[in-house]
Amino acid sequence: MKIRKLMSTVYGMLMSSFLALVLVPTHVFSDETCMSPYMAKIVGQEDYVYVWTLGQVGVGDEQDKLVTVAVNPASPHYGNVIGHTSVGGRNEAHHSGFTDDRHYLWAATLDTGKIFIFDVHTNPSKPKLHKVITDFTKASGGIVGPHTTYALPGRMMISGLSNNQDFGGRTALVEYTNDGTYVATYDMPTDGNLNGAVKTGQFADGYGYDIRALPRRNVMITSSFTGWNNYMMNLGKLMGDADAMGRFGNTVVVWDLHTRKPKKVFDVPGAPLEIRCAWGSSNNYCFTTTALTSQIWLIYEKDNEWHAESVGTIGDPSKIPLPVDISITADDKHLWVNTWNDGMTRIFDISDPHNAVEVKAHKIGDQVNMLSQSWDGNRIYFTTSLLSNWDKGDVPDVEGPPQFFKAYDQKDNDLIHKFTIDFAAEKLGMPHQMRFGAYSLYSKTADNKNLAELNR
Amino acid sequence: MEKLRIYLLLLVVFFINPSYAQEQSYTSTVLAPGYNQLTFDAPVPGSYVIPSYMPASNGDVIDVDGLTKSLHDIYDDKIVLLNFMYSTCTDVNGCPLATAVFHKIKNILDKDPVIGKQVSMISLSFDPENDSPDVMKLYGDGTDSGTVDWKFLTTNSMNDLDPILNKYSQRIIKEYDEKGNYIGSISHILRVFLIDKDKNIRSIYSVSFLHSDVLINDIKTLLHPESQNGTMVVASTVNVVPSGSSLARPGDAKEGYESGDYVTDAQSLVRTGVATDLYKIANSPILGLPELKMKEGTDLTREKIALGRKMFFDRRLSHTDTISCAICHVPEMGFAHNELATAVGTEGRSNIRNAPTILNSALLTRLFHDGREHSLENQVWGPLLSHKEMANPAPGYLIKKIKNIPDYDNLFEEAYNTGPSIDTISKAFAAYQYTLLSGNSDFDRWYYGGERNAISNSAKKGFKLFTGKAACITCHVIGDDYALFTDEKLHNTGMGFKASMHVEPPMKKVTLVPGLTIDIDTSSYRDNVAFKDEIAPNDLGLYTVTQDPYDRWKFRTASLRNVEITGPYMHNGALQNLKDVVEFYNKGGIKESGKMKNEMLSPLMFPLNLSENEMNNIVDFLKTLTGSNVNELILDAKAAPIGEISLNDPNWFHENKPKY
Repeated sequence: MKIRKLMSTVYGMLMSSFLALVLVPTHVFSDETCMSPYMAKIVGQEDYVYVWTLGQVGVGDEQDKLVTVAVNPASPHYGNVIGHTSVGGRNEAHHSGFTDDRHYLWAATLDTGKIFIFDVHTNPSKPKLHKVITDFTKASGGIVGPHTTYALPGRMMISGLSNNQDFGGRTALVEYTNDGTYVATYDMPTDGNLNGAVKTGQFADGYGYDIRALPRRNVMITSSFTGWNNYMMNLGKLMGDADAMGRFGNTVVVWDLHTRKPKKVFDVPGAPLEIRCAWGSSNNYCFTTTALTSQIWLIYEKDNEWHAESVGTIGDPSKIPLPVDISITADDKHLWVNTWNDGMTRIFDISDPHNAVEVKAHKIGDQVNMLSQSWDGNRIYFTTSLLSNWDKGDVPDVEGPPQFFKAYDQKDNDLIHKFTIDFAAEKLGMPHQMRFGAYSLYSKTADNKNLAELNR
Repeated sequence: MEKLRIYLLLLVVFFINPSYAQEQSYTSTVLAPGYNQLTFDAPVPGSYVIPSYMPASNGDVIDVDGLTKSLHDIYDDKIVLLNFMYSTCTDVNGCPLATAVFHKIKNILDKDPVIGKQVSMISLSFDPENDSPDVMKLYGDGTDSGTVDWKFLTTNSMNDLDPILNKYSQRIIKEYDEKGNYIGSISHILRVFLIDKDKNIRSIYSVSFLHSDVLINDIKTLLHPESQNGTMVVASTVNVVPSGSSLARPGDAKEGYESGDYVTDAQSLVRTGVATDLYKIANSPILGLPELKMKEGTDLTREKIALGRKMFFDRRLSHTDTISCAICHVPEMGFAHNELATAVGTEGRSNIRNAPTILNSALLTRLFHDGREHSLENQVWGPLLSHKEMANPAPGYLIKKIKNIPDYDNLFEEAYNTGPSIDTISKAFAAYQYTLLSGNSDFDRWYYGGERNAISNSAKKGFKLFTGKAACITCHVIGDDYALFTDEKLHNTGMGFKASMHVEPPMKKVTLVPGLTIDIDTSSYRDNVAFKDEIAPNDLGLYTVTQDPYDRWKFRTASLRNVEITGPYMHNGALQNLKDVVEFYNKGGIKESGKMKNEMLSPLMFPLNLSENEMNNIVDFLKTLTGSNVNELILDAKAAPIGEISLNDPNWFHENKPKY
């Protein structure tokens, strides 16, 4: 009996701790660096990149599609499009994200609000349309423009960009289960409904855009862009419309991740877009960049309080280079920033997160939007499209095709071009967000079997 | 042998100081938060909502005595913490973490029997081949005392287990060596499920969030009397209709946005309305307005009005289920659009005209900025079929679509004794718009009602200028008994001519954020067009209807009723505020642009020589033209549901698949 009680106490004092020193960890981390920390991880080389692609009038079947590119050098199809799945309509395809088990890819759309859920685990080389959420706006109580689909345990948190009352920027976060069942809507804090949040500055606009989480600090962070009227509008028309130009988000909100309640609203003027959080266990901070003012902002915790601070300038703000996608390296030392207007990617040293310094820049094309890098940073991929009615139309073809997917190897912040896919020439459309797929996620078999799959 | 192996592991654990890992990542080789003190304050029980995710599925399992039971029987009526695990799990941040956290919870709640007796914990193996009831009994050795019930379960086989794993989306992958032999480890994502007494999943915890403090507070929240078992408590709202037009403002008004001192005043997204008797509005005299004359044969009823209102707010009535009438004619923006100079349509297509208010449009005989339609009934099909607005490919398409939307079932028949058709759809939309009448303004009560102090002295001076020196009244007519403030004619003021000449300054000021206005090169954006058909045609006004060159750039005289709340102004929304408008007319419009002369400029346009004060007086006068029932109409509009596509509606992905 005494032994039994002792053992219970041992369990009670934690069946825990140092097993890690004597046992081999199950997972090895290797994945693009912007994914949810809840996400299942790729082991080694990614096999495919899934490109969520906007349909384009006059190009191929003119509808949105998920395009699969083979990116494993061991594959005989390396560097080629091996398939695509058209989904019907031009829905303003934009961002996509996996469920936490990485079995399904949720590809969201900003216009019709449809969310296309692809099965990517049954056959990673051939994503199959599994389900379409057609009633996102009705289910959510009027939220328009599902943007980020961010994995939480067993659930997806989705940021809206707009609402069905005025197509402006006030919006909400919407939570679904992994099987596509609506759970709840959490309004972004506005002056009229701060929902317990503290308005730390001048703005509480209620706009939304991206989501990231730091679970160890019980924090979720959201940024703010603009509503349907603006993101669907022709960019030239928008720039000439003073009323519309006054309707961009100027806030970042720090949330209590567990309770889904907003805690602080920060002034981050100029449409803060993508958010990337540091990976280091004591690096309690995230970065975002502002599209209109070309600033790098640090959202950080100090003395148990969260703060927002501008820590760097991107290009010449007076020329509106328009920072878009960003990517943090796994060691938290560099931040890659794409600037859409001039087609550049810029690498900032963020070793001191309070002082981001540009160390190198590369021209990628006439325009560039998204980038995704492998966890080790050895491979980086770029695509071009920003929004269907913002993309440059009749631009001179001086830097290669206007709509492309480009693959590079990376070393010491230099890029080694591997291949380019011209999405117009291949009659595909306008490529937007990329997500990685790999056989290793779904079977722990020997590599040679995966290779056989690749070659099949 | 099994017992010895587990005991050895536990002895290793016993001599380890977990504080080693407090500042380390728990990602692979150090410890998850559940082993240490929580580094943030756990949310206060009852202060938050835990929504219900899905029903917790049932399945057959085996207890440590080898007896088969159903999960639901084991759940009983308790709050359940369920963890899928296997006894030989070697990942310290996997199954052992869940076990450790369960131990912590049990130790704490055993001392709190009021709560503890309402909680049950379950460790269910996903390795039935190795985790027999005996192994699970050993694994749970020493946990059978105390208040909190903790059960260790397994299944007969993978055939019994797989359905359970699937229902809980618990993914497992068995690991193999290079020869294809199972090496005894199972890769999985750690998940612990919080299940309420009604057997609904309320939370799912992973490695980074699995901590006893968090779980216990979540359990307490589910039991909290004021949180209604953790579900959302929505405060009831008392709806009172304030008189006037205080609600006529964009949800996130941007007045003064260019200033560094700008502060937001964004409204809640909660849509609260109060239905009003629109039939009564259409059938009652309104001070300052003429008698409503409906199209011959119109028999307005409440059913027809309600149907028209439903359709007006229904986004499904556009080709892509995105654009309703109310998207461009926003109730709180005076049934116009304050946030856009010119409208944006299906797929973001550019329209070249400002969305006019539809308030009092039932009193007009010429509709659209170019005056091409003469009845509400005919006007309806313009935006419904326009490729750049709602983009329905054909009338028949829309008629068929409405017939296939379940919540329109029988509504047309009840209102019109016949189904949806070109005729009844026109009439229904018109029925609602016939009721959007708004008069009895401060001006009306002063001018027609005899209330001497209904408007300010400045506004009275403005009226004098309006009807005298400024000659506004020539086109914006005021009658003896009523005033529509429009002659319903079309005039060339030069605004359209200027836009067609495309003479823009090389640099233009653009406010990027409050306090930051920069000069940008207009050529950098002016010619940025994604598609060829997006190149905006010049807007030649009435000429586009008549092809008469003398009609170039003629646009309809807008009614000035409710003008304060319906900006921006002019047919293209080029002027942002009323002062800009008065200044435009004070200069006599646009006579020339570069070398081009505006030959068709209306002879009624001439410099007015108004002083600054006089222009301000006129603006003050214009602000007296807002109807007294604007709030009532806005709240009524907000009481209407916004039509959104549901799973029952026609869509290629639904069972209700449209057939053509």
